[in-house]
This record gives sequence, C-alpha cells and structure tokens, in this order.
Amino acid sequence: MEVTFYIASAVAVYATIMVITRHNLIHALLYLVLSFMAVAVVFYILGAPFIAALEVIMYAGAIVVLIIFVIMMLNLKAEAVEQERKWLSRGIFIGPAVLSLILLVELLYVVTASGVSSSGYPMVDAKAVGMSLYGPYVIGVELSGILLMSGIVGAYHLGRQKKKIVHRFLEKAEE
Amino acid sequence: MSKTDLLSVIPIFILTSAAILILFSIAVKRNHKVIYLITTVSLAADFIYIALFSAKTKWIIEPLFIIDGFGTFNTGLILLSALAVSMISYAYFEQREERKEEYYILLILATLGAVVLVISKHFISLFLGLEILSVSLYAMITYLRKRERSDEAGIKYLILAAFSSAFLLFGMALVYASAGSMEFSGIAKHLASSSSMSPVVFAGLGLMTVGIGFKLGVVPFHMWTADVYEGAPAPVTAYIATVSKGGMMALLVRFFVVIDGYRYTALMMAFAVIAIASMFIGNFLALRQNNVKRILAYSSISHVGYILVAFLAGGTLGVQAVTFYLVAYFITTIGAFGILATLSDRDRDAEMREDYKGLFWARPWTAAIFTAMLLSLAGIPLTAGFIGKFYIVAAGVGNGQWLLVLMLAVNSAIGLYYYIKIIATMFEPYEKERPSDQLYPSIYIVSGVTMAVLTLLLVWIGTNPSGIMDLIQAFVRLN
Repeated sequence: MEVTFYIASAVAVYATIMVITRHNLIHALLYLVLSFMAVAVVFYILGAPFIAALEVIMYAGAIVVLIIFVIMMLNLKAEAVEQERKWLSRGIFIGPAVLSLILLVELLYVVTASGVSSSGYPMVDAKAVGMSLYGPYVIGVELSGILLMSGIVGAYHLGRQKKKIVHRFLEKAEE
Repeated sequence: MSKTDLLSVIPIFILTSAAILILFSIAVKRNHKVIYLITTVSLAADFIYIALFSAKTKWIIEPLFIIDGFGTFNTGLILLSALAVSMISYAYFEQREERKEEYYILLILATLGAVVLVISKHFISLFLGLEILSVSLYAMITYLRKRERSDEAGIKYLILAAFSSAFLLFGMALVYASAGSMEFSGIAKHLASSSSMSPVVFAGLGLMTVGIGFKLGVVPFHMWTADVYEGAPAPVTAYIATVSKGGMMALLVRFFVVIDGYRYTALMMAFAVIAIASMFIGNFLALRQNNVKRILAYSSISHVGYILVAFLAGGTLGVQAVTFYLVAYFITTIGAFGILATLSDRDRDAEMREDYKGLFWARPWTAAIFTAMLLSLAGIPLTAGFIGKFYIVAAGVGNGQWLLVLMLAVNSAIGLYYYIKIIATMFEPYEKERPSDQLYPSIYIVSGVTMAVLTLLLVWIGTNPSGIMDLIQAFVRLN
C-alpha cells in the first residue's frame, strides 16, 4: 500500500511542476486536472474516499470548468480557433495521457486489492464528515459562508467598473 | 449549542446581521446615509453589549472558541476601532466613489473576521477568521477603482496574503500531523509531553511564523506594507494598521501563552531577531521618505517591533503591556490617518509632505491634532504612546531583556527624527493658497468630532493611565 501512495504523490508533484512551468494556459490546465486527480487518489489511498470524490467533483470538475470559461472569454477573436487547434496538437496529450494511465492502473489496483482500510488508517466516510461538519464545527461552516459572502461582495464591486489598468512603471516609460 | 453558547456569540451575530441588513438595504435603495447609520449603530450596539454583558469568566465553546477576558477586551477594542474608522470613512467616500455602500459590508465582515481571530482556540477558527479578514481587505484596498495605485496595492496584497496563507496552512498541517490536534490546548498537551520539540513541529511553527509575520508586517515579511498603505484609501489604511495587525497580535499572544512557546529558546531567538530587525529597518526606511503614508507604513513596522519586545517579555505584565500598547497605537494611528483623510482631495490623498506645508497657519486645529498624534507615535510624554512604551520597557526590564529594551530606546530616538520633520513642515511659512477641497463642509463634522474624541482619549490616557490600566488588569489575565 505504501508504494501506491508514493506513486500517486510523485504523479501529483510532477503534474504540478508541469502546471507552473507551461507557458501555454491550456497545456497547464491539462496538467492541473491531472494534479487534482492524483491528489484525489492520494486521499483515497489514505482512507478518505469522500474527500477524494469531492476533490474530483469540485476541483477537477467545477473549478477547471470555471478556468476554461475565463480562457474562452479572453479569446473572442477569429484567429483564436486556429490558435486553439495549434495548441491542442496530438503531442501535447502524450504526457497527461501517460500520467493518467498510471493513475488509472493504480486506482484499479487499489479498488480491487482487498479493501482500502489495509493502509493502516481508519476510514473516514461521508457520514463521519457530515456529522463533524454539522456537529461541533457548525460555526466553522457558517463562517465559511460569511467568507464567501465577503468574497462575492468584493468581486461584485471590483468587477463592476471598467478601468484601463496602467502600471505606474509603464506610465513613466510612455512619457 | 447551549443557551450560554448562544449568548456568548451574540457579538458575532450582531455583525453578521448588520452585514445582511445592509445587503437588503442596498437591494431596496442605495443610500449612503442609511447604510452608514446601520453600520455605526450596529458596531456601537455590539460594543455596548460587550461592555454590559460580558462576563470576565472564561467560557469555552467547543471546539472553536474561547471567550475570556483577553478575548473580550480585544473584541471591544476591535469594535471601537472599526467604529472610529467607519466614522472617518463617511466624509471620505461620500465625495470619491459613486458606489460607496459595499464598503460598509466589507468593513463589517472584516471586523467579524478579526473578532473571530481574537477568540479562536483552534486552527480552523484561526484560519477562517484570518481569511474573512483578508478577503474583505483585498476589495477594501482596491475600493477606489479610479485611483492609479489602488489596483497595484490590491494585487500585491492579494498575491502575498494568499502566499502567506499557504505557508500558514502548511505549518498548521505539519503541527497537526505530529500533535494530532488542531486545538491550541491539544498542541500544548503534546508539546508538554516531551522536553524538546520534534523537528516536524518546529518546522510547522516556523512556517506558521511566516504566515503570522506577514499579517503583522514584521521585517523579513514587510515588503507589502509601504505599497499597500500608499495605494489603499486612507480609512482602509487606518483599518489595516490597527484592526488587522492588532487581531493577529492578540492571536499570536494567545497561541504562545497556551502552548507555552516561551520555553523554546530557538523560537524566542527567532522572534527577538524579528523584533530588532523590524525596529531598525522600519525606522531607517522611514527616515528618507517624503510620503507621509509611507512614513506611517514604515513606522508601523517598527511599532510592531516594539510590541514584540513586550510580547517576548511574556508573563502577565508582558501581555498587559502588549494590550496597552495596542490601545495607544490604535487611537494614534486612526487619528493620524483620519487627519490624512480629512485633508485629502477628490483625486489623491494628502500624502506628500508638501501637502502639510503651512498647515498650522491655515488650519490650526487640524495641525494641532496631527501634531498630538505624531508626538504620541514618537512616544513623547503626556501622550498615550509614551505610557505604552513605558509599560513595554517595564515589562522588558522586569524579564531581563536588556538588549531588546536598549534597541527600543535607540529606535525611539531614531524615530523621533521623521515625526518631528513632519511637524516642522506644518510650521513652515504658508505659501500657496490651498485648493478649497471643502465640498460639503458639514459632512466633515463627524470626522472632526471623531478626531477630537481620539485626541482627548490620547491625552487622557497619556496623563492619567491608571483608569485604562485598571481595566486591562481586570480583563487581561493569563489562564
């Protein structure tokens, strides 16, 4: 079981390094999805299947979709389609494909090999998470709601007005 | 939750309801005056509730909060500071921004975050409080979108604060991994079980120090201070300098007292180095500045250094000295930035030293108040700043921290130079006609009254500190 943990972690670390070293946003995004998947596998191996599922649903699902929306909104020109085709050439998929294959094999092995709990850690299932979130930590859940509220109010205010952003150093250079 | 639990978190309920009430009020109709009233009334009501009904006994809401004298006193201090900041905000935002109402929601939520911070006894409430405070501050710093520098300041704060949060989280994870508890008391129990600290816990605490040090703006992590202070609107700057830093300081004190971090010389040594470096570098950077906001930013770095001296002294006296200095520093800083906000015109804040030229002849009262604030920052007798420093020195000497006390004395002398320079500028002959920026003179009355009250408090604490000291002694006790 130890080995599977280290393989998944290595994939996560490698994918994350690839994310921050890519110059192309779409390529970085491919590796970002992979990094989330690898972290989900790590969670699964450590005995937290619920958090692993959440990791996939929220990060690899929702947040990546949001980032794709942002990229789509930024590229509205006609040449963007051509550019996108160039970005998504076949060679690009090799790296992520190999890594996700490793994860898939590993996941299949972990699921079929008798029981997750043999990793030595107690299993934390969805019920336990729910019981503690809405039991002792209910104030924490409410505070998270307030955190989101302040984020939304701030984003609403800042996003509403359009403004040409000129950095002071750039401005000096223009003069 | 039991009934006492609910009664204990009413201060938080009041703040939350105020924020939601303002949201609804904006949905019905945008009216700056109404929203300003809701803000001030709810902050004042919250403070009155705390002053009247707070028990000095300890009450613990498992597992997140501890409501004791120290937490209650700091909550009251934060609420009053937020009230003073919102007082000076009205006149400031009325003439500068068309959408001013969201500012008050953010102000209240940031205050809520700081309150959560000072009563937390658990990593989760610590982190949530810190993030509520930070996320609200991102938008508050960038609030005046038409200003040139506001975006720069906001982005800088956003990136650095997020980065330091990552440090803090990783540190917490390491501590949790080896202590098996996220509660301060649980960590203390784990640490007490062995005589020396394990490397993992040590690394964790070190990483947490980075995150906390960023919020406090102490020296290796101080880079953001000057730019953010300069770019943020003057009331927001006052808010960052007081509530944000004070909340974090209170948390640091609580955390250290509970886990008894004073036993570990390496940790103490690190904080001593941070304190000395903060005092010196803050003061030296301020010496050559002509921008008053930046001077105050650098001076705030050195002031946190002074507070750390009292913090390092430890013990009941040290904690009381920290609290007293926070009170004095809050009054002074809000006063100084309040004056800055009053003098600012529509396009830019009155931040250059030239803006203050001849102020004493043009507006003697304003100049007198500003002088009092600066003298208090410098630590001249008869002001609250002097008494604060006096208590810090007393705490330091009582614990034999001679090096730190000596450094504090040297730095107070260095600091005197740039404060006096600003004061001297105000006395210079009056040359050009100041542009009349008094668009609505009547709305400055609120700011003026606030300033006057702060000045009176400053002198009252400076000349008769026993009243406030008794209060602190009644509330702030260890254990």
